[in-house]
Amino acid sequence: MSEKENIHISSYKEHLSTWLALILLTFMTVFVSVFGAELRTLSVATAMIIATVKATAVGYYFMHLKYEPKIYKIMMATVLGLFVFFMIMITLDYITR
Amino acid sequence: MDHTFHLPNSGHNFDAKASKMGMWLFLYTELLLFGGLFLVYMVYRELNSEAFLLASFKLNVWMGTFNTVLLITSSMTIAMSITALQKGNKILSIRLMWITILAALGFLIVKYFEWGAKFEHGLFPGMEHYQQLPTGERLYFYLYFFMTGLHGLHVIVGAVFIMFVIRGVKKGSVTPERYSLSENAGLYWHLVDLIWIYLFPLFYLIH
Repeated sequence: MSEKENIHISSYKEHLSTWLALILLTFMTVFVSVFGAELRTLSVATAMIIATVKATAVGYYFMHLKYEPKIYKIMMATVLGLFVFFMIMITLDYITR
Repeated sequence: MDHTFHLPNSGHNFDAKASKMGMWLFLYTELLLFGGLFLVYMVYRELNSEAFLLASFKLNVWMGTFNTVLLITSSMTIAMSITALQKGNKILSIRLMWITILAALGFLIVKYFEWGAKFEHGLFPGMEHYQQLPTGERLYFYLYFFMTGLHGLHVIVGAVFIMFVIRGVKKGSVTPERYSLSENAGLYWHLVDLIWIYLFPLFYLIH
């Protein structure tokens, strides 16, 4: 059967370490935000970078993107590219008004 | 010659790859749906950064953190339930799915109290206190209720989806060889987690 191809069974251990990393990163963001209030712009940028690292971990390990065929990564890159394109266009619109 | 024609959904044809691809295509549209809302947030925040900052202090960071931990943990349990199913351990798989649903319920209960407190303070769009707020803060709460509300709706849908998978495993239509449905429910649940990962810092942690 065709679905037998490309089967990857992620281990419990891999999921557990992903979870641990996500929890640590969450508390890191909260910490930066609550105790680093005077570094406001820095804390927003840090929060967004940490969120992206977390999102990547969820996609890569929990959603198995790491083990999927290339086409999934290409599609994901297309969607993210489209989003960044919208973001740039909107930013350009507002700063040139 | 064999002229029997099977409808794609009749259960005779089973295409795990197409099923997963379809789910991912749907998830991409979901990403763009929330992406659009994040762009609205980005613009209004740039235009009203002081008001957004002030309004964000009215949210409870610890409730938000607790909910984040709940969602991350449930994301792990649903991922593990797929591993358990693939390895043939149906009972563990079902248990892990129930834990995920409990976490979803917990998330919604915390949200209920959070929203309830906002309602008490009259911060829901249309309420008296809301109308007196400066424009920037009104925009913040409008976006807060709309985005976390839409996300909450996804939490409910995700939990119901997982219940269908549990039923499938019990009835024998979802098996260690045929686990597409469980995988797709998992993917949907991870998306719910993924969106919250951005909602949480943007609404609770911007100060």
